[in-house]
Amino acid sequence: MEINTEREGTLLVAKAGGRLDSINAREFDDALKSAISDSDQVLIMDLEKVSYVSSAGLRVILLTAKTLQQRSAKLLICSLAEPIREVFEISGFDKIIPIHANLGDAKASIG
Amino acid sequence: MLSLCLESRLDELQRLEAAVENLGEQEQWPPTLLYQVKLVLEEVIVNIVNYGYEERGGHKIDVHLISEPDTLTIKIADDGRAFDPLNQAPTPDVDASLEDRPIGGLGVYLVQTLMDEAHYRREQDRNHLTLIKRRDG
Repeated sequence: MEINTEREGTLLVAKAGGRLDSINAREFDDALKSAISDSDQVLIMDLEKVSYVSSAGLRVILLTAKTLQQRSAKLLICSLAEPIREVFEISGFDKIIPIHANLGDAKASIG
Repeated sequence: MLSLCLESRLDELQRLEAAVENLGEQEQWPPTLLYQVKLVLEEVIVNIVNYGYEERGGHKIDVHLISEPDTLTIKIADDGRAFDPLNQAPTPDVDASLEDRPIGGLGVYLVQTLMDEAHYRREQDRNHLTLIKRRDG
């Protein structure tokens, strides 16, 4: 699991790579928590380089979305591989977190 | 056919995954099937280690994958406390709003949704979970 972040004003883009599973979910959660600052209004989680997500990874993503929502900030997700997108849809995450095909689309949606 | 005897520790998942990838490669599974089988095994093993053994090591979990032209059958057996994941875990509300959406409960739900059949039985002080995936797509 690795994570690289870029900040553009109040937008934070977090590009994750590798696996988001029960072995490294805590590491993923810690990395996100230390990357996000209170002034960030939008977090785009770019999962293009993520090859695998299990329920442990989904849990961290849901917790992050809830935490951001509590202070009126927002989580967007982009670039999901097909089997991962299917897992997001089964879990109903596509109904509560905007999912975009790529980073450009996600950025364009912020307006 | 794949048979593995795992120790009741989460880091055993890496050994299991390598074996599953090897089988998938030999049999040229589509990437989605490989992903789903790895995911289902992780969810079940994590449940057994965390709830069945309450994170105590030193127990064995038997995993068998029986690959046939039409179906893939996954059998998992353990001697942890009696635990039927198919009936004891509440179904998550996947239509709830972000605010109301509870954390957790997704693992077993994913297993039940991604597999075509799931059966549990307790026999001779062991939990037996059988999962069947049809390979017609």
